[in-house]
Amino acid sequence: MKISLAAQHVVKHYGGVIALSDGNLEVQSGEVLALVGANGSGKSTLSKIITGVVAPDEGQLLLDGQKMHFSSPQSARRNGIVEVYQDLSLVPDMTVAENIWLAHEPVAWSKIVRNREMRARTRDLLDLFTGTIRSSLQPEALVSTLPPDEKQIVEILKVLSLQPKIMILDEATASLDSRQVDRLFELMAEWKAQGMAVVFISHRMEEIFRVADRVTVLRSGKTVGTALLDQISQQELVNMMIESDVVSRYIKHHEEATSSPMRLSVERMRTSVLRGVSLSLREGELLGLGGLRGQGQTDILLALFGAIPFEGQVTLSGRSVHFTHPRQAMREGIAFVPGERGAQGLLPVRSVLENLQLPSWRRYGPLLQLGKARKDADTVARRLSLIMQSLNTPVNSLSGGNAQKVVLGKWLLREPKVLLLDDPTKGVDVGAKGEFYKILAELREAGTSIILYSSEDEELLGLCDRVIVLHDGQVQAELADVTLTRSELVAASMGTAHGGAV
Amino acid sequence: MMKRLRLGSTVIALLLAIGLFVLGGLVHPGFANYSLAINILRLAAFLGVVAAGQTLVIIGGGEGIDLSVGSVITLGAILVYQVANGSDVMVLPALIVALAVGVGIGAVNGLGITLLRIPPLVMTLGMAGVVQGLILVVTQGRLTGATAPLMVALITSPLAFEIPGVVLIWLLLGIVMWMLLERTPYGKQLFAIGVNRTTARLSGVRVPAILVLTYALSGMLAALAGFVLLGYTQRVFLNLGADYTLPSVAAVVVGGTLLAGGQGSYLGTMAGALVLTILTSLLTTLLLPESARQIVFGGTLLLLLSFYGRQHRLRS
Amino acid sequence: MIRIPVANTIRLRRIALRQSYRFALLLLIIAVTVNAALQSNFFRPSVLSDDLQTYLPLMLLAAGQTIVIIGGGVDLSVGAIVSLVDVLVVRTMGGNPGASQVFLAIGLGLATGALAGLVNGICVAYLRFQPIVTTFATSFVFSGLALWVMSSPGGNVPPGLVDAYQANLLGLPVVLWVMVVVLVLWNFLRSTRYGRYLYAVGGQSMSAYVTGVPVSLVRLSTYIFSGLMAAFTAVALVMSTNTGDPLIGGPMTLESIVAVVLGGTRLSGGQGGVAGSLIGVVILSLILNIISFANIPTWWQTLVNALIVLLALTGPGIVALVRRKL
Repeated sequence: MKISLAAQHVVKHYGGVIALSDGNLEVQSGEVLALVGANGSGKSTLSKIITGVVAPDEGQLLLDGQKMHFSSPQSARRNGIVEVYQDLSLVPDMTVAENIWLAHEPVAWSKIVRNREMRARTRDLLDLFTGTIRSSLQPEALVSTLPPDEKQIVEILKVLSLQPKIMILDEATASLDSRQVDRLFELMAEWKAQGMAVVFISHRMEEIFRVADRVTVLRSGKTVGTALLDQISQQELVNMMIESDVVSRYIKHHEEATSSPMRLSVERMRTSVLRGVSLSLREGELLGLGGLRGQGQTDILLALFGAIPFEGQVTLSGRSVHFTHPRQAMREGIAFVPGERGAQGLLPVRSVLENLQLPSWRRYGPLLQLGKARKDADTVARRLSLIMQSLNTPVNSLSGGNAQKVVLGKWLLREPKVLLLDDPTKGVDVGAKGEFYKILAELREAGTSIILYSSEDEELLGLCDRVIVLHDGQVQAELADVTLTRSELVAASMGTAHGGAV
Repeated sequence: MMKRLRLGSTVIALLLAIGLFVLGGLVHPGFANYSLAINILRLAAFLGVVAAGQTLVIIGGGEGIDLSVGSVITLGAILVYQVANGSDVMVLPALIVALAVGVGIGAVNGLGITLLRIPPLVMTLGMAGVVQGLILVVTQGRLTGATAPLMVALITSPLAFEIPGVVLIWLLLGIVMWMLLERTPYGKQLFAIGVNRTTARLSGVRVPAILVLTYALSGMLAALAGFVLLGYTQRVFLNLGADYTLPSVAAVVVGGTLLAGGQGSYLGTMAGALVLTILTSLLTTLLLPESARQIVFGGTLLLLLSFYGRQHRLRS
Repeated sequence: MIRIPVANTIRLRRIALRQSYRFALLLLIIAVTVNAALQSNFFRPSVLSDDLQTYLPLMLLAAGQTIVIIGGGVDLSVGAIVSLVDVLVVRTMGGNPGASQVFLAIGLGLATGALAGLVNGICVAYLRFQPIVTTFATSFVFSGLALWVMSSPGGNVPPGLVDAYQANLLGLPVVLWVMVVVLVLWNFLRSTRYGRYLYAVGGQSMSAYVTGVPVSLVRLSTYIFSGLMAAFTAVALVMSTNTGDPLIGGPMTLESIVAVVLGGTRLSGGQGGVAGSLIGVVILSLILNIISFANIPTWWQTLVNALIVLLALTGPGIVALVRRKL
């Protein structure tokens, strides 16, 4: 089967934010194309467009030279383009076999599903991974009982059962262990030989160099180049991914930061994602958490806030603590700005006032002194330069940047000692971002300890005193002063050693 | 925009109530007079008191619903009937006993829903049966007791402008509910839980505790409704509260509170109770057969649902 | 992970443990044992046959309710549909019907049930109304229609039908055959692609949608099934009660939901099955029976019944809680 897919000059905006300004990609039968880019480069958006999940604003898709328009993931699928999801498309209470064959089960003339055939074909699919999966991974196993790596393999097999012409793997190796990855790569070589085209989106440098033939690099919404992988080095690839100009610092360094008292220390923290992370934080210090998404950064923040269970020691201002509910953490002066403001940080249909005061209503008496609450809320709103009609307007009428200010504001009202931020400027416009940085700088001056996870390298470089880069649930590198550079950051995120040379 | 929609639906409900009333007067002369209006207010009051607890439960979200209210009403009425036994002095203690029992039953509902993670529909349905059983145990089949004259005076007898006490009690409840929902930390936290439990928890709200309290309040208000109903009917029977359960849910929905939770007001529920009561009265006065009454009732409910009962699409 | 030697054992064990009605089966065994101990003639064929005749209507209803619940919804109007079809069938049959008129009446009844289900389904699946309040609203419409067809109990049922209901076929009661047919049909349905769609939509509708399952259509179909089964229930009732009654379905709605939950099907959908619900119906009746035979004082019977039912409903939740705390 010969096939070629090309995306040309694709543009996509989400509201005011431009996700893609010039996305280009081309892949042919019999090759593995790697698609890489730093956080915010637009690679996820490009992949969503070629799989029909999202429609482009401008630009075109060509399948075998013909212009195509995908109205839904189903129409992309009908043309042989299928994406391997990350655990988005499995039904937990159904078996592995049932999930793999859902909506295209082999049926007899009587319309009854051919269970035995289904089981046998599932067995064949599972056999592709023997030696790398547990013997309990059978066609009848319930998906809800599977660990993340096996779920990911089921997703891969689900796509394989559709016999796609173009397979897109988006961070598919994120949940797999090394032997499973090895096997997957062997299989990809076979699929290539059979004529499949594979788009491999990954942040793991080592894997890209192992399995891919060519690589397309995206940066800030534009495709900046394509190269053959046997003609480029890791460092050159990293350089293509980052801008070469110097990043300006938003916050001036202060030497006092290194000698102020220790406020928080974490030892050997373990959660379902974290595999033993230790860190320390002083008063007035801004610690960054780097690394690509899903490496455990959010878990650290949630655990410190008492929102998820964890193992390990946490010491706050000299006292050993272990919070089991956010209320406990709040009482000790810890605050948490979550990553998904709509789903975790805000009450969209309620007013700005209610959102700002949600953690603090008890302060205003059993019969709420709304006047005082309003005054305090107003003060915070002014401090944040919050643009809103009034305190009574519902939060979902605010722009992204202002809504995020509300999330920050509700914690500022409490004057926290430790502020935890999970990617706070995601989807926030440039103006609001600047205001955010100013406030973080003020807080830092005043002695607040801040831990900031950001998916944007400029923020980590421009705001933080130190950055801990996480990779696969562990600390890959701790960068500060001289080592806190763009190139070190990207290299550590990709799992390479310092310097990044191959 | 959402707030406008919600406020709008309360206003719509009120307008609908008034509209139906006027329509009734046009269609059936003699319908829209003062004494009938008072009667409607009184009937709506009973529904309104029950629906207060239901409002809280539904605002709390998570498919919150309390199907045990009907049997708690009956139990409450019976307890007051027996404990007070016609003596004015015993009215207050009887009321306290009834309210306490209501709180207890509601708390059991709440614990089952939060601790055991039983869906509210199932838990409250099961408890409804248990309460019916309790009623039989308490009464042993014999409905002995008497209604204290104080209760009759308080609830049924006209107090001012021929308005019976129950309507004033309802208005008072309306004010208390408004304060509870809009002017206490509990109310703010309840709305938060109804909008998004994750956000609430990540903002320090102790979600299970608030939910248990809410169901306890629902039980208490149902018991109060029993008390009030007794003052009107002056006798008890085993199915006293049965006809109030699902209509209390309807009153909340018609009043503009979303079943999904996180938004709503008791004022809306009061308007909803009025609409339902006027509709039923109108249908009775028009001498429509029971069959037509039910069809119109159901149809109206569906029509109202089409305005503000819709849920999300899957394709975003 | 320990290497388990025999693949077949794993398979069988997994299939057995997967049966959502295993808890209900346990309850059933307990209930039957206790009942048999208290009621000496429990296993006599005529007694069993009578019992089965009582169980059938609610079983049919619970079967339909199961399908809706597996699909992620709930149908509070089933009792009203039963009432409507009940009186419609009796009315249509008239005084002294011939065989063809009887079939016409039953056909009309079934069509009405399906149509009622269609109305529910369109509101929930396509207009996206919330299931609980919607089916509550439609229940009034259907009840009202029932009262309009027949305002008070009455009408006659040809003795032939009644006899047919109580008869035996090849040595076993007709009603038992019907139960078997229901289970066979359910198993068939479950093994088709539609069956997979049903569980996927109820289990995780987003995953189902992303995989290309026609979610709205599947949801609509569950309500049509429910309406149809309610119609069958009405036919069974007509044949067993010998008269038409516009209020007959009233209490059956909530009973059907309790039976489904008792049978191991989760209210949130995505798992469970009709077999469990049929067991649930039997358990409910047995509990009532046990209580009346156990010499529990009359005034305590309702409470004990309700407590046992509540315990059965919350059982899985209690087990889960204990497991979480350990």
